Amino acid sequence: MTEVKLPPIAEGVEKVSVSYWHRAVGESVNEGEDLVELVTDKATFNLPAPASGKLKEVLVSEGDEAKVGQVLAKIE
Amino acid sequence: MTTGISTQTPPWLKKRLVANDVLGLTLKTLSEGRVHTVCGSSLCPNLNECFSNGQATFLLLGNICTRGCAFCSVEKRRIPRPVNADEPSEVLAAVKKMNIRYAVLTSVTRDDFEDGGAGRFADTIRLIRNYSEEIKIEALVPDFRGDRKAVETVLDAGPDVFAHNIETVERLYPAVRPGANYRRSLSLLRSAKDMDPGQLTKSSIMTGLGEDDDDLGLAMEDLRSAGCDILTIGQYLKPGKDNIDVVRYVTPREFESYKKKALELGFRYVASGPFVRSSYKAEKAYFECHKTQSHKSQVKFLTCDLVSCDL
Repeated sequence: MTEVKLPPIAEGVEKVSVSYWHRAVGESVNEGEDLVELVTDKATFNLPAPASGKLKEVLVSEGDEAKVGQVLAKIE
Repeated sequence: MTTGISTQTPPWLKKRLVANDVLGLTLKTLSEGRVHTVCGSSLCPNLNECFSNGQATFLLLGNICTRGCAFCSVEKRRIPRPVNADEPSEVLAAVKKMNIRYAVLTSVTRDDFEDGGAGRFADTIRLIRNYSEEIKIEALVPDFRGDRKAVETVLDAGPDVFAHNIETVERLYPAVRPGANYRRSLSLLRSAKDMDPGQLTKSSIMTGLGEDDDDLGLAMEDLRSAGCDILTIGQYLKPGKDNIDVVRYVTPREFESYKKKALELGFRYVASGPFVRSSYKAEKAYFECHKTQSHKSQVKFLTCDLVSCDL
């Protein structure tokens, strides 16, 4: 099981909004492929999958906020 | 309360996030010492990318500025704190730990200092030089109130690139850089070139602040007249609610046309794109200029391989 954590984006930016999951729970993803899109004031960021596998669980839904360091999803 | 979140940005303002060991090391190194980075102070959207590549731009003379530029998020105060005497050695320690091969040094503006902080640039450059001749150093200086002696102080320390950002076009100075002067900034670049014609010089312009193509064209021509070799052009992004608003988002296609125009005017290297910042991939500009120096025939090819293409 690999946890997908939100890495630091910019100093002072502690929160982002999850705007889009590129994969649904149960779908496969390859390491390095875009997994989730995140929005801040300055720009939109795509977070690639840290490992290959099935998206087991999504912990932050689209439209919700996430904090730096928070686990966004789990890949198995 | 603001969440710092908006959905107003255009689709091309999109980047990939990286989470790797280098990012962790960079954050750890920078949090251990008392060194500041402009990456953090300016809330730069490239921070994650640069830090995960082990790159950072050091901010000398503290993190409080005596000027109040409308675009900048650095804290302003008329009399900032005294400077940290150990700053040059702390910057060197970070350079060593992060194994930086191309160090960019910049500073807040310190109008409260007789030399504008030029001595601090010189000391830090020399300290890094004494540690390693291999490390390339870029000094991105404030305007030193136009003081040629300050320019000389920095140049005497031998930076590989002498940079000063005009930031915006002449017409927008009163609104964007009220404490600065466009002509003075150009003179600063000119004086560096006059003192040492072999010195690589560099400047940067933010777009999206209300300038038009004519304004921008004039700024480019003025920079070329001042002998400026390297130009970076990027999208202004509002760092905080008290900063000046973004007037518009310049499209990637327009950034391409700015680049073409700048190359036609004779800049030796141009980086132009939405996420381009003065120090973003700064080493690339330096090394490409050196390649073009030894292979003049390849100038066109090399200068087309630009930062913006990666974005």
